[in-house]
This record gives sequence, structure tokens and C-alpha cells, in this order.
Amino acid sequence: MTFDFVEPIVFAMLSVGVIAAGAAVVLINRITAAALLMAFTFLCMAGMFVLLGAETIAAFQVLIYVGAITVLILYGVMFTKSGDRPYALFFQHQTPIAAIFVAAIAIPVLLLAFSFNAPAPPPRGGDLPGLATSVFTDFAFPFEIASVLLLAAMVGAIVLTKRDEAEGADTRRRERR
Amino acid sequence: MPIGPFGLDPVIWAPLRLVIAVGLALFLILNGALLQIYLERKIQAIIQDRLGPYHVGPFGLLQTFADALKLIAKEDVRPSATDAWFFVAAPALVFCPMLASWLVLPFAYDITGADLNIGLLYLTTLGSMTVLGIVIAGWASNNKYALVGGLRSAGQLISYEIPQILALVTVALVVGSLSMRTITASQPGPLVNVLVLPFSFLVYFIAALAETNRTPFDLPEAESELVAGWLTEYSGMRWGTMLALSEYGNVTVVCSIIVTLWFGGWQGPGVDALPLLGVVWFTLKVYAFILAFMWIRATLPRLRIDQLMSFCWKGLIPVSLLNILVVATLALAFPSSRVPIAIANWLLVVAFVAGIPFVQRRRLAALRARARATAQPVRAAS
Repeated sequence: MTFDFVEPIVFAMLSVGVIAAGAAVVLINRITAAALLMAFTFLCMAGMFVLLGAETIAAFQVLIYVGAITVLILYGVMFTKSGDRPYALFFQHQTPIAAIFVAAIAIPVLLLAFSFNAPAPPPRGGDLPGLATSVFTDFAFPFEIASVLLLAAMVGAIVLTKRDEAEGADTRRRERR
Repeated sequence: MPIGPFGLDPVIWAPLRLVIAVGLALFLILNGALLQIYLERKIQAIIQDRLGPYHVGPFGLLQTFADALKLIAKEDVRPSATDAWFFVAAPALVFCPMLASWLVLPFAYDITGADLNIGLLYLTTLGSMTVLGIVIAGWASNNKYALVGGLRSAGQLISYEIPQILALVTVALVVGSLSMRTITASQPGPLVNVLVLPFSFLVYFIAALAETNRTPFDLPEAESELVAGWLTEYSGMRWGTMLALSEYGNVTVVCSIIVTLWFGGWQGPGVDALPLLGVVWFTLKVYAFILAFMWIRATLPRLRIDQLMSFCWKGLIPVSLLNILVVATLALAFPSSRVPIAIANWLLVVAFVAGIPFVQRRRLAALRARARATAQPVRAAS
């Protein structure tokens, strides 16, 4: 008797978690609960990455999505006024279009899922060396481009917020005069 | 049939090992919290020339046991306007990542939950998850002080994560591994990493103080401004789980990281002959740092929130980026020797420590100039 039976069970639990929490994120009315359930979805996805032998990806998934993005979304939710207007489904009139889009994505995915042969699992020792080597050799240029893009976005965000502040100070000074 | 340790079938041994490991970690966290709260009170009392707890048991040793019993026996109060699910879930969200991070702590050569080859990344990841629980706690309490505390905590923890990770990266660069066991093994004898990377240690130590909400960075629960911050509405064992267990557990984890990365982990005299001695060395080193944390708490006043943020973004992050640049360049230039890295790092420490008075003087001069410019003449007012 070995531990081969554990992996499918864990996979099943994680899949149920991803699908149920993902559906709940869309269907639930309370936006904070939706944000927390989204974090749960990310955690389950991280678990799947671990099952696939990609621990580094899993760790970054949790670090960035659960630790930072979800907190950012919660921040946004807390600073957004809500509750004094009735909840309306924004997309309720677009059901046919939505159905077409869902079908366009779901059918290829289903077809692929049934014709997919899993590659052999990577050797033990984790994905860290392979990932690091490919990021810093084959994919060094895209990696750098992505970082420059992020830097530009960050500088842009700072400039946008700073400009408002300076203008506010100017008007205040003018008023004082 | 393969035989595992103690002659047990591996199929039985694996779940048994899991139960033992989790039980042992819980045992250590609970007792560590009891001991550290006692030490915190007693050491602050000694530093501030007071007596501290001394009524219950010899030297007041049983005081924290009495407090813990009181917390457990307390009525389970939940204020009626709070968010039911989140209010209950938040303590678990704060506690679970802390418990999970005990998995990779190397207590001795073979005494560790799992030697993950991404151990360091794993610890950072779990440290970043604590924020979520704190923000949820602040939000669910439906209390303005709790909310402000939660938001402050989110800003503080996310900001101080950056210098923390950058400091860890320099160690990974020099050692060439993220596994806690390899990092420990890379510093045999007295030549520990702190001699090579003192500046990374300094940055990590400061960031760790902020990451664990310790004075002088305990803004999220600043009692002079925010009652008790994000803990305001909590009481009983929920409060105990969040504050006592999670905070002291996190302090222990962070001190273990410091010890493993910079001070040789469980290594010490006599470990080769008697491997179990590693546990003793590890515990002694970790508690030395916990005592340093307490010393700092008893000595330093609390920062203001804008000082906290500007210290991180304008002070720690630029210098740690410079540090990573220097260490990476030197590690590439001199792959076989750590001496250049050590020299550069010590120079950075000297520059950082010597630079503080200059920066401070310029800041004070600017503040004075602004005060003089905006000051109203006294006579004109009357």
C-alpha cells in the first residue's frame, strides 16, 4: 500500500474548492465575502500547483495574490461607499452574449481536457532551479520588459496622485492670497 | 514491505508524523506564548525599575498560566453589529499561517517538519498572509478604531515586506539556496552569515520588528490613538489567539529566521557529538533575539504613522536595493570568495549608521525653516 491514493483525493478537494469558491465569488451579493472567497480560490490554485510539482509558482501565487492583491481589493471595498443602493446585476441584459462567450471558451477547454495526456511529473527537487534558469536566460528579455512596464505603471500612478496634490496646494495658496 | 522509522509501516508512520509535528508545534506555540508574555512583563519591569508580576507562584511564574485560564474561561462575547462570519474567521486567518510556518523551522539537524527547497520563500509567503486576517478583523469589528488599525496594519505590513524580502534575497544570493537546512549547513563553525552580510541582517531586523507589530512599529494597535487598534472588539480566547498566540508565535518564527539565516541556526559547540544539543543552541539563540525585541520595546517610543511609512519607502527600501545591487555584483565578480561582499556590507552598515545624524539634522533644519516661514507674528494677532 502506498500513497498513490492521496493525490487524487487532494486534487478532488482542491477542484471542488476552486469551482465552488469561484462560483460563489460571482453569485454572492456581499462583496467582502466575495473578496475573501477569491483568496480561497487562489489558495486552492496554489495547492494544485504544489500537486503539479511547481512549488515556487504556488508560493508566488499565495505571496502575490492572497497576500497583496486580495488585501488591495479589500482596501478598495472598504473605501467604496456601498449599501445605500439596491444591488443590480450589471450584466443581466447580456445573457445571450455571455452564453456565447462562455461556450466559446468552455467547449475547447472541455475538448482539450478529454484529449490531454499529462506529461511525466518533473523529477524531485522542485521547480526552482529550472524556473530561475529559464527566467534569467531564455526569458530574460520578456522578464525585463515586464519589469519596465510595471515600473512605468508605478511612476505613472505616483505622477497622477502627486499632480492632484500640487494643484490642490496651488489653489489653496491662491485662495489664501 | 518497506520499513519506516521505529519499525513502523510508512503508511502508518506518515500520518502519525503529521499528528506529532502539528501537536509539537502547537505545544511549542502555546508554551512559548506563556513564557514570552511572562518574560515581556518581567523584563520590561526590570528595565523600567518596577517589580512586574510576583504574586502568583514563585517570581510570579504562574501569572501567565492564570491569565490563560482566565482567557479560556471567559464568556464568548461577540458584539451584535459585527460581521458574524468574518469576526469568527479572522483569528483563524491570523493564526493558521503562523502555525504553518513552523513547518520549515530547523530546530536541529534532523528535527524539522519538512526541508522544503523553497523554505525561505514559503516563510515569506505565510508572513504575507497574516495581513489578510488582520484586515478582515478590522473590517468585521464594525468599529472605526478597529478599521483604522486594520488599514494601518495592511499598509505597514505590505510596505515592510519589501525590505524584508530584499534582505532575504541577499542571503539567498550568497548561500545559493532557499532551503533552511542548506543555509544552516553553509555556515559551519564561528564564520556565521552575520559577519558576511551584517547590513542585510540590520535591514531584516528592523523590518521584522515592523512585520510582527512590535514597538516602535506597533501602530496598528497603538493604544494612545486607537484604543487597541484592530483588536478593539475582541475579547476572551479570540483575543488571546490573535494577540498572544499569533503575535508571539510570529516573533518566534521571525527570530528563528534571523538565527537560521545569519547566526548559524542550530549549530554550536558539541553538536557533532550530540545532535540533540542543536535544539538547545537553537532555542538559546532564538530567545536571545526575542529578548532583544523586548529590550527594544521597553526602550523606544512609538513612531508616527507617516514617519513609519517614510522610513520604509525613503530609507529602508532604497538602501536595501543598493545592498542587493552591491551583493549581486560582488557575488558575480568574486564567485569563490565572500570577503569582498563582507567588506562592502560592513561599509554599508557604517555608512547607514553614520548617515542617520546627517539626514536627521537636515530634516530638523527643514522643519525649523518651515516653522519659521509659516509662523504668525504674535503681536499681529492681538
